[in-house]
Amino acid sequence: MDRRTFLKGSAALGLAAPQLARPALAQGGKVLRFVPQANLANFDPIWGTQYVVRNAGTLVWDMLYGVDAQLKPQRQMVESEEVSGDKLTWTFRLRPGLKWHDGEPVLAKDVVASLTRWMARDPIGLMIRGIQDDLAATDDKTFRWRLKKPFPKLLYALGKTNAPMALMMPERIAKTDPFTQINEYVGSGPMKFVRNEWVPGARAVFETFTDYKPRDEPNSWLAGGKRMLVDRVEWVIMPDAATASAALQNGEVDWWENPISDLVPLLRKNSNLNVDIADPLGNVGSFRMNHLHPPFDNPKIRQAVMTAMSQEDYMRSIVGDDDSLWKKLPGFFTPGTPLYSEAGGGNVGKGDIKLGQKLLKEAGYKGEPVVCVVAQDQGITKAQGDITADLLKQMGFNVDFVATDWGTTGTRRASKAPPSQGGWNMFHTWHAGADCINPAGYPAVRASGEKAWFGWPDIPPVEAAIAEWFDAADPAAEKAAIDKVNAAAVEGVVYVPTGFFLGYQAWRKNVSGIVKGPIPFTWGVSKA
Amino acid sequence: MLGYIGRRILATIPVMAVVGLFVFSLLYFAPGDPAAIIAGDQATPDDVARIRATLGLDRPFLVRFWEWSWQILHGDLGTSIFTNLPVTTMIGQRVQPTVSLMLVTLVFAIVVAVPLGVVAAWKAGSLIDRLVMGLAVTGFSVPVFVVGYVLAYVFALELGWLPVQGYTPIEQGLWPWLSNLILPAVTLGLVYIALIARVTRATMLDVLQQDYVRTARAKGLAQGPVLFVHALKNAAVPIVTVIGIGIALLIGGAVVTETVFAIPGLGRLTVDAILRRDYPVIQGVVLLFSFVYVLVNLAIDLFYTVLDPRIRY
Amino acid sequence: MTATVAPFPSSAPQAGTPPEGTAPKAPPPPGLAVAAPLPDVIPARKRRGRVWTYVRRNPTIVVGGVLLLVVFLMAVLAPWLGTVDPTALAPAKRTRAPSAQYWFGTDMLGRDVYSRVVYGARVSLLVGFSVAFLASVAGLAVGLVSGMVRWLDGIVMRVVDGMMSIPPILLAVALMALTRGSVQNVIIAITIAEIPRVARLVRGVVLSLREQPYVEAAVTTGTRMPAIIWRHILPNTLAPMTVQATYICASAMITEAILSFIGAGVPPSTPSWGNIMAEGRALWQVKFYIILFPAIFLSMTVLAVNLVGDGLRDALDPRMAKDV
Repeated sequence: MDRRTFLKGSAALGLAAPQLARPALAQGGKVLRFVPQANLANFDPIWGTQYVVRNAGTLVWDMLYGVDAQLKPQRQMVESEEVSGDKLTWTFRLRPGLKWHDGEPVLAKDVVASLTRWMARDPIGLMIRGIQDDLAATDDKTFRWRLKKPFPKLLYALGKTNAPMALMMPERIAKTDPFTQINEYVGSGPMKFVRNEWVPGARAVFETFTDYKPRDEPNSWLAGGKRMLVDRVEWVIMPDAATASAALQNGEVDWWENPISDLVPLLRKNSNLNVDIADPLGNVGSFRMNHLHPPFDNPKIRQAVMTAMSQEDYMRSIVGDDDSLWKKLPGFFTPGTPLYSEAGGGNVGKGDIKLGQKLLKEAGYKGEPVVCVVAQDQGITKAQGDITADLLKQMGFNVDFVATDWGTTGTRRASKAPPSQGGWNMFHTWHAGADCINPAGYPAVRASGEKAWFGWPDIPPVEAAIAEWFDAADPAAEKAAIDKVNAAAVEGVVYVPTGFFLGYQAWRKNVSGIVKGPIPFTWGVSKA
Repeated sequence: MLGYIGRRILATIPVMAVVGLFVFSLLYFAPGDPAAIIAGDQATPDDVARIRATLGLDRPFLVRFWEWSWQILHGDLGTSIFTNLPVTTMIGQRVQPTVSLMLVTLVFAIVVAVPLGVVAAWKAGSLIDRLVMGLAVTGFSVPVFVVGYVLAYVFALELGWLPVQGYTPIEQGLWPWLSNLILPAVTLGLVYIALIARVTRATMLDVLQQDYVRTARAKGLAQGPVLFVHALKNAAVPIVTVIGIGIALLIGGAVVTETVFAIPGLGRLTVDAILRRDYPVIQGVVLLFSFVYVLVNLAIDLFYTVLDPRIRY
Repeated sequence: MTATVAPFPSSAPQAGTPPEGTAPKAPPPPGLAVAAPLPDVIPARKRRGRVWTYVRRNPTIVVGGVLLLVVFLMAVLAPWLGTVDPTALAPAKRTRAPSAQYWFGTDMLGRDVYSRVVYGARVSLLVGFSVAFLASVAGLAVGLVSGMVRWLDGIVMRVVDGMMSIPPILLAVALMALTRGSVQNVIIAITIAEIPRVARLVRGVVLSLREQPYVEAAVTTGTRMPAIIWRHILPNTLAPMTVQATYICASAMITEAILSFIGAGVPPSTPSWGNIMAEGRALWQVKFYIILFPAIFLSMTVLAVNLVGDGLRDALDPRMAKDV
């Protein structure tokens, strides 16, 4: 770098500095300070699918449909829809008066472009694209979708909470390649993103969009009227849980999305705070084995591990001593949702080490090393990794524990190479319960071999049963299909569910209107 | 003098080149994939591969290094992989908190440490001396984050005097700015106090033995002026040196302090970027650090000539 | 105490470089920091008083040494100190307060904190001493080459400058991202971050020595380079290096804790004071004991090493203290 370059660089720094000055108007209106689960490191909810990006996305971008607390899709931006007798042609009409944050009206061509970009990245979207005949705007307010085959779950797909959600953007933004990040954050949602106050890793700011027209129906999750009762929402990113806890107790922030359960007794003691379950759909813990390489290419060995593991141990390592926060999960689907199934799950997570050892012996484990990749920078994966290492050691596995960070785990798990050549045998993760209510938005339960999710399980009965579910016409048929999926997935051990767990959220008592849901819904929340 | 400064600035070029190449190769060969993090947990391997391709992360080492160097030569530090913001903007957002933290820490440390060191030297061997030196050794024996938690608990949660976390830009008032910095500065300053107090004491011991100080004492000058005017002025060079060299130490400690007190500074930015493999940001920040380091050392060298006219360049 | 060393220009820096050997991470006391005020005029006479005299002369080194010995014994004797398997999990008995059964309580996974702290001494000492040794040897090599081979000096020093300008903790974090978490890799990462400082110190000593008349004489009489290094340079480098090594040892233990704090340290399957604290830190407000005990032990050990360093510096050579 020469001196001139440096001067240029410092000029750039100088230009950037004034952004630090926050507008004084903040003092006039009501500001809600929210501590999200993670840093908002990027802000394209189609390109990146982390939960935190999706959650912020729901503030800025609106949807055609939105699921309510019963997971039923309800109209949101759409005023009415019509479906032809053969169920192949859908015609949608947009609500009048919808506006983008830059003041332009929302047009049908914007919606078409947004849907096209979304379909390229969403698992269900890809299925729709596969059977799509034509998607086009017929005038400014209506668009038509023609399919080659009926798709009963179309409205659910448009209103679901799984990332990526079908969020609507202006055409010029939605035309961005789905694998490239957008550079402009204009939506038609209830809040505007204040880009020049965005400090990634520290804060993100949203201002109420005064031209937003909420629906008249009462709000329920993503459905109904999204009414903003504060003027400004500030996301304060806290890299340290202890600091977040102290800030909430001190009244420096109003609402904390995911307090550690061990701190909850302390927060409960504070008379200024409320604590409640955050998301009733909870999370499903997971450890995945690589089906391509020994020893876990042998289904008997996978079953031995699944039998020997104790879900109680895993759950306590994640949620602590609070027994109301977790449940045994003898299956793969979210408890409390219509398709929940325990079929075939009798032996899952029994914690029977002896039986596990016996099964392992019968299966003929030859002492191959087990490369267990554990991300240390994520609390949940780290805790699960510790339990797994202990479990495998007790069972008599030859464990090679690879402590690393999430970024490295992400690369390594994508490698199909043998474990000794940069591949892997086992890694941990977890899935939001909202993603595990059915196989549509749930790639982790698929078992289509080379094309499946990491671990590449190849279990034809699972795939056959999932196909049955997609074709199922009524709830009873759906349920029957899912029972088959569950039993087959347990039999072949697609992955090992480590249990179902819930998390808390906590907020100051002067804040009201906070609901339980898979996303921290900010509309309807007010601050005294 | 000007020629000297010019030569010194020119001499930074090879240093920066070394740092640039080193960091770039380190990152290139590090495992870890920003594309996998961006794509999220549900993404398929194909999606991850396509994102990697659009980010240009699949191209060979030399091509990427050449492009990066070319950008740097044109004053462009690139764009963050994650945020899509220019790296200069991201650094710009973070400079003020970190610089503020360092300045307050430095001022606090010097104000506390230099008198302590002087008194310890003056009363060498006494109880006060031992006490000060004992505190100094303890100061850098306790991990920074433990000190931070204890201070936050006592002064923010129990007493309620100061905020627990955060940063307020100085444009919003001196007190809001300072109140957010006091606890972190004390936390970070303890190590520094230890360092400076020890150096001050040692140098002062030396200077107090010099003839001119003895003369001043013999002439009956009061102890205060002798200590703080005559002696300290001559002891300043090593003290300033330590302060300068400690910049790297301060940045390192700032990583932890910024995390504990949720200050949006450069240290935290760097660690986040490393853990996420946001290559352009890491490269930009490290270049900035090395440039600052070189600059600070130049400033200190120039400062010597002010302190001691005998030094000439 | 002698007062012969003029403050200038001996302590003034060479152009372009900060004064050699002022270690930024460790306390570099460029002066006579001898605690005892009495000059070394009267030698000890009484035989039985010798030990006592040594203790009185070098209180810091004795206190530090004894503390260090205790920690060292603890590390070696860990299995016989009433410990259980420090990695054994018992999630049903997590976060128990200190009691007769769990002396220091249990952590988030129900592991016995006492056992982890006792075994943790092994890792912390291993990290501290290995880094001190490796960084010293490598730094010595680099410093010697740089100081003795003139044409290499410029290149080597540019590289060293570049490395020094990256804050050591950030460099260690970056190096840890390159590899997986393990004790060995933590040691390597911290060592690499420390080498430049030792190299600088050694180079400084070498440069000042080669101007000495007896070294110049050796050079002019055609003594071969290895011999000069062996006879004249090494013996004079050893003293400041030893002192520097103790400070590196202390700072390496702290760095290990900070790496764990950031999430780039020793994996939890190997207990270290750093990772015990890092894991328990989120709970400090409710379960303070989880970080309290490792913090006490870490601080005590670092303190002990620093005291030994101070003592060594004072004892080895008061003049040398000037340069360290």
